[in-house]
Amino acid sequence: MIVFEHVGKRYGGRFEALANLDFRVRRGEMVFLTGHSGAGKSSLLRLIMCLERPSRGRILVAGHDLARLHPSQVPFYRRQVGVVFQDHQLLFDRSVFHNVALPLEIRGMAPREAARRARAALDKVGLLHRERALPIELSGGEQQRVGIARAVVNKPALLLADEPTGNLDPQLSADIMALFEDFNRIGTTVMIASHDLALIARLRHRTLRLREGRLVADEEAA
Amino acid sequence: MTRQPPVPPRGARSQRTRSSSQLRGWLRHHRAMGADSARRLLRQPLGSLLTMLAIAIALVLPAALWLMLDSARLLDAELDDSATLTAYLEPRVAEGEAGRIAEAVAAQSGVAGTRLITAAEGMAEFQQALGLSDALARLDGNPLPASIVVTPDDPAPAAVRQLARSLEALAGVAEVRLDLAWLERLRHLAELGRRVALALGVLFGLGVLLVVGNTIRLAVESRRQEIEVVMLIGATHAFVRRPFLYSGAWYGLGGGLLAWALLALGNQWLATPVRALAASYGASFTLPQLGLPGSATLLICSTLLGWLGAWIAVGRHLAGIRPR
Repeated sequence: MIVFEHVGKRYGGRFEALANLDFRVRRGEMVFLTGHSGAGKSSLLRLIMCLERPSRGRILVAGHDLARLHPSQVPFYRRQVGVVFQDHQLLFDRSVFHNVALPLEIRGMAPREAARRARAALDKVGLLHRERALPIELSGGEQQRVGIARAVVNKPALLLADEPTGNLDPQLSADIMALFEDFNRIGTTVMIASHDLALIARLRHRTLRLREGRLVADEEAA
Repeated sequence: MTRQPPVPPRGARSQRTRSSSQLRGWLRHHRAMGADSARRLLRQPLGSLLTMLAIAIALVLPAALWLMLDSARLLDAELDDSATLTAYLEPRVAEGEAGRIAEAVAAQSGVAGTRLITAAEGMAEFQQALGLSDALARLDGNPLPASIVVTPDDPAPAAVRQLARSLEALAGVAEVRLDLAWLERLRHLAELGRRVALALGVLFGLGVLLVVGNTIRLAVESRRQEIEVVMLIGATHAFVRRPFLYSGAWYGLGGGLLAWALLALGNQWLATPVRALAASYGASFTLPQLGLPGSATLLICSTLLGWLGAWIAVGRHLAGIRPR
């Protein structure tokens, strides 16, 4: 699903955010990406989202060579990747329902079908009863779940999450992780960047450990 | 009876339904954004009105100038009909002979009509026109020659000059005067006016682009976070651009309608003095109206200008917005 071949990323010519990354993630896998802040977790996710291009090496995602992707194709590529952001990236001037339906609206889906799928996604994250609420009226955990519903509403084959439990208490964090495991169980490839080592250790999935932009450990689930 | 092929062309069919549903989705988004951008404009009525007023003022001046030139063109066409030559006969030509010369002139090719003005008639006209009857009565004899006013078939200047030359060659004709000089002067003046109007139109059109562009720039800035989010989840540039293009087009249309209203108001305001002025010259002249084609042109141009201004502004800013 994801192939990194000798990938490096420099910013401004000097700072090396990522160096010589070489790994593969198989279809249907669930992988954690760990490391201290600044280790390059976010940079790696940004490369997969095609928000940035690598300075060196090659990245293949679902068969797409990201270096060969024309800028006009990037939006269509992004529709195949669901992303959950640490700061949610919700639109605060529209309801929970409309936030979740937004990717379908962008795809030009008929409103009836879009509404059905948005409600299904909200139901999955347990927020169907809040569909009319504005994101500002929700707690942090609920906002994160809206973000997850929006990421999966397109039924992407790949789901990325950047510190999805960053500001949540342990119980809420475990709930969120359980949601990701549910999506992984139905075949979605999931990659989660997190520095919550205790939680990751408990969940027993493959873990990629980054330090100063290098892959220092690739541990299969115990 | 049509026979079903053994293997239905599934791929092609699903492709077709997908593209037709994409087209529907695209049209739906256009409708939604057209309505949404109109609502956003109405939510800030004063700001929107000021922007439209700025557009309207920029449009009124060139449009008014154009209208004036249009009426000058109409006048010009009328004058074409009255383009005449005057052939002055030699003073010694007697009245009977003048009649014969007039007939000879009428027989020339390219002559539509002739009118003989005898020396006495000329004198009478002169007196009437100048109101100098006393002074002229003191003259010994009639110093004016008889003349023939010739209306040419073809009012084009070259044809008229040609005709003048052939008339001058006739015996008894002393001189042929063309009434072309002032007509040409008027034409040059009209051409000058047309160019000034065009230059003003281009300048003020640029002004409209700037007004709309600046307004849209602010709108893009205020919705920056929203733009970043939709781009993160796969929105194309066209999708992001669409609501702003509609805003620009609405501003343009609103400005065009206001300009139309200003022109109508100005027409009302000036109609009475213009009519009085024309009456004092013994003419009837009414101010030109935009009419249906003119109004349509004004509105279409202003809408397109608004749309274009938005396009330029959004294009410039989208390049600068990258999702974080």
